[in-house]
Amino acid sequence: MHHPLSAITYFRRNPGKVLPMGFVIVLSVFLIASISSLANSIDRTILTIYGYTNYFTYVIPQRVTQRVPEEQLAVIRDDARVERVMEASLFFTNIKTVMGQLPFVVLGLEPEDRAYLTGRIGTSLLSGRMPAEGMPEAVLSEALARNKNVKIGDVIAGPTDEGGIAGSPVPVRCVGILKGTVWIAMTTKSFCDATFLTAPRSTVFTTRNRADLTAVNEDLMPARRRTQGKLSPSKVLVLSRQNLINQVRDSLSTLFLIMGFVNGTVIFVIALMSGMLSNIYFTQRMAEFAVLAAIGYQRTRLVTRIVGETFLLTCIGWAIGALVTFLFLSAFRTTLFEPKGLFVDPLDPFAYRYTIPIPFSITLFAVATIALRLMRLDPVTIIERR
Amino acid sequence: MLGCERASLAYTDGERTTYALRDVTVTLAPGRFYGIMGPSGSGKSSLLYVLSGLKPPTEGSARFGGFVYNQHSSADVTRLRREKFGFVFQQPFLMSYLTVAENVVLAAPQVDRAARDKAARFLDDLGLSDMIHKFPSQLSGGEKQRVSVARAMMNDPEVIFADEPTASLDHANGHRVVDTLAAWRTRGTVVVVTHDPEMLADADEVLLLRDGVLVESRPPESLPSEPKALHRTGTVAPI
Ligand SMILES: Nc1ncnc2c1ncn2[C@@H]1O[C@H](COP(=O)(O)OP(=O)(O)OP(=O)(O)O)[C@@H](O)[C@H]1O
Ligand SMILES: [Mg+2]
Repeated sequence: MHHPLSAITYFRRNPGKVLPMGFVIVLSVFLIASISSLANSIDRTILTIYGYTNYFTYVIPQRVTQRVPEEQLAVIRDDARVERVMEASLFFTNIKTVMGQLPFVVLGLEPEDRAYLTGRIGTSLLSGRMPAEGMPEAVLSEALARNKNVKIGDVIAGPTDEGGIAGSPVPVRCVGILKGTVWIAMTTKSFCDATFLTAPRSTVFTTRNRADLTAVNEDLMPARRRTQGKLSPSKVLVLSRQNLINQVRDSLSTLFLIMGFVNGTVIFVIALMSGMLSNIYFTQRMAEFAVLAAIGYQRTRLVTRIVGETFLLTCIGWAIGALVTFLFLSAFRTTLFEPKGLFVDPLDPFAYRYTIPIPFSITLFAVATIALRLMRLDPVTIIERR
Repeated sequence: MLGCERASLAYTDGERTTYALRDVTVTLAPGRFYGIMGPSGSGKSSLLYVLSGLKPPTEGSARFGGFVYNQHSSADVTRLRREKFGFVFQQPFLMSYLTVAENVVLAAPQVDRAARDKAARFLDDLGLSDMIHKFPSQLSGGEKQRVSVARAMMNDPEVIFADEPTASLDHANGHRVVDTLAAWRTRGTVVVVTHDPEMLADADEVLLLRDGVLVESRPPESLPSEPKALHRTGTVAPI
C-alpha cells in the first residue's frame, strides 16, 4: 500500500516518462564503467605479464654484445639481501596485448639455475619435459601458453616472426608446460649462447623475499631517478617491477588524462540533458504541485518528493547500469578480452568509481531550478490559469 | 470564526495599482452556507484566497478563530489549510496518473486504511462507487468535479472553499455538487463563489462584491433571478 504520492506509484504509472530517463542513465553508467575498466585493464595487463618481476629482477648491459660489467655485478653480489645471482642468455617471443604484439623474454639458464628459479617461483612441470641442453626447445607457463595459444610441439619463435626483437633463426618448440599463473618462459643457456651470438648476456638475481627485492631494486637503480643508485645507468638497465610499472604508467598517463576528461564531459552532458528532460517533465507537473500546495502540502515536502523521485530513479538506473557492465565484462572476459591480452576485472572498483557522480549530478541538474521554482510557486497563479 | 478585517488586496503592475479587494471586513460563522456573488473581476476569488490564506492581504488581516494569518509563517498557514480547510476549484485539478480513490485520499491527514475506507464512503455518497479505480481521463466533467468535492472533504475541514465549482458543469451536475457542498454546513462553514444565483437558493447568506468592495450581504431570496442583471451593474464585462 503505497502513498499516492510515492515515487514508486509515479514510476509505475508513468513508464513513458521514467523509462527514457532510466535508459539514458543505464547507458551512461555502462558507457563510463566499461570504458574505464577497459582502459584500466591495460595497466592490469602489464602487471600480469610482468608478474615474474615479483620473484626476480634482471639486469641487462647497455651495450648489446656485452655481459654485465664485472664491477656492476660485484655490487649486486655484495648486497647481503641478494640470494642468488645467475647469468642468463635470452631471446624473445611475441605475445598478444591490447597494444599489439610485445616481446616477452625467454630466459636461457643453466640447469641448476633453472631448477632453482622454478622452485623459487613455486612452479613445476605440468606436462611435457624440460628443454634439452643446446636444443631449440623451451618451456612456457600455462598462462603464457594460453596467450600464445601454443601446445607442446608448437613453435614459439622462428625465423619468420614479425616485429622488433622477437624471433629465432631456428624454430624453437614448446616441449613442456609449467603450472601456474605467472608468465614465464625458459630455455637452455647453451642453446641461446650458440644461436643468438649478438644477444645480451643478462644477469638475473633473486632475494630472500619480495620486500627485499623491492628494496634492492631501489638501491641499485631508483625507479624515479632522482637519486643515483649503486649501478650505473650508462652501463646497465635494471628491469625491476617498479621500473616496468613506471614506464607503463608514464606511457598511459596521457590516456588516463584523456579518459578522465572524456568521462567528465560525458557525465556533464548526460547530467545536463537528463536534467533538462526531467525539468520538462516537472514543468508539465506544475499544476499538480500547485494544487498540492493549495490544499496544504508544504513546499519542502514537494521539493523532497521531486528530489526523492529523481534520486531513486538515477540510483536504480545506476545499479542496473553497473549490473549490465558487470555482466558484459564477465561474459566477454575469457572469450573476447583475455585472448587479446586484455585483463579486465568486471568488478574493477576504479571503473565504477567514475560512475558515482552520475546519480548525484543528474539529480542536481534536474532538481536545482525546479526546487527554486517550487519554493517560490504561488498556487493561485496556476489555479487561475484557465 | 473565519473572517477578515479591513482587508485589501492590491496588485501593482508598474505604476498602476489594481485593488482586487478594498477594505473588506466580514465574519463567517460555522454551520452556515455562504454564497459570494458579483460581476467578473469584482474580487470574489480574491476574497476566497484571502480568507483561506492562499494570498496574504496587502492591508488588513485575515484569521481563522484565534489564528491570525500574518502572525504566522507561511508553513503554518499551509498546515492550517491542510488541517482545517477544504478546496474545490473551478477545474477539478485531478492528478491524471492517480486513480479516483488515490486522488481523494491524498488530501487525508494520514494516508492509511481508515482514510481509504473514508474516501470510498465519500465517493459512494457522491454516486461514484463504480469509479473508484478509474483514472480521471475515464470520467466526465461532472464526475471529475464530484471527485474533487470528495477530496475537499477528506480532512474533515471546518471550512470548505469552492470557487465557481459549477462553472463548467451542466445544470443537473451543478446542482448535485452544490447540494453536496451545502450539506457540509452541518460540520462547518461552506463558502461558494458562483455566477449563478440559482445555485445559492439554499444559501444562508449571500455576499455581494463590486469593484473589490463588499456592497452588501443579504438572504438569497432577494437575489435577482436573472444572473445577467448582476453583471450589468458591474464595471467589468463578463468573460
Ligand atoms: N495576478 C493579478 N495581477 C493583477 N491583477 C489581478 C491579478 N489577479 C486578479 N487581478 C485583478 O483583480 C481583480 C479581482 O480579481 P478576481 O479574480 O478576484 O475577480 P473575480 O470576481 O473572481 O472574477 P471572475 O468572476 O472573473 O473569476 C480583477 O480586476 C483582476 O483583473
Ligand atoms: Mg474568480
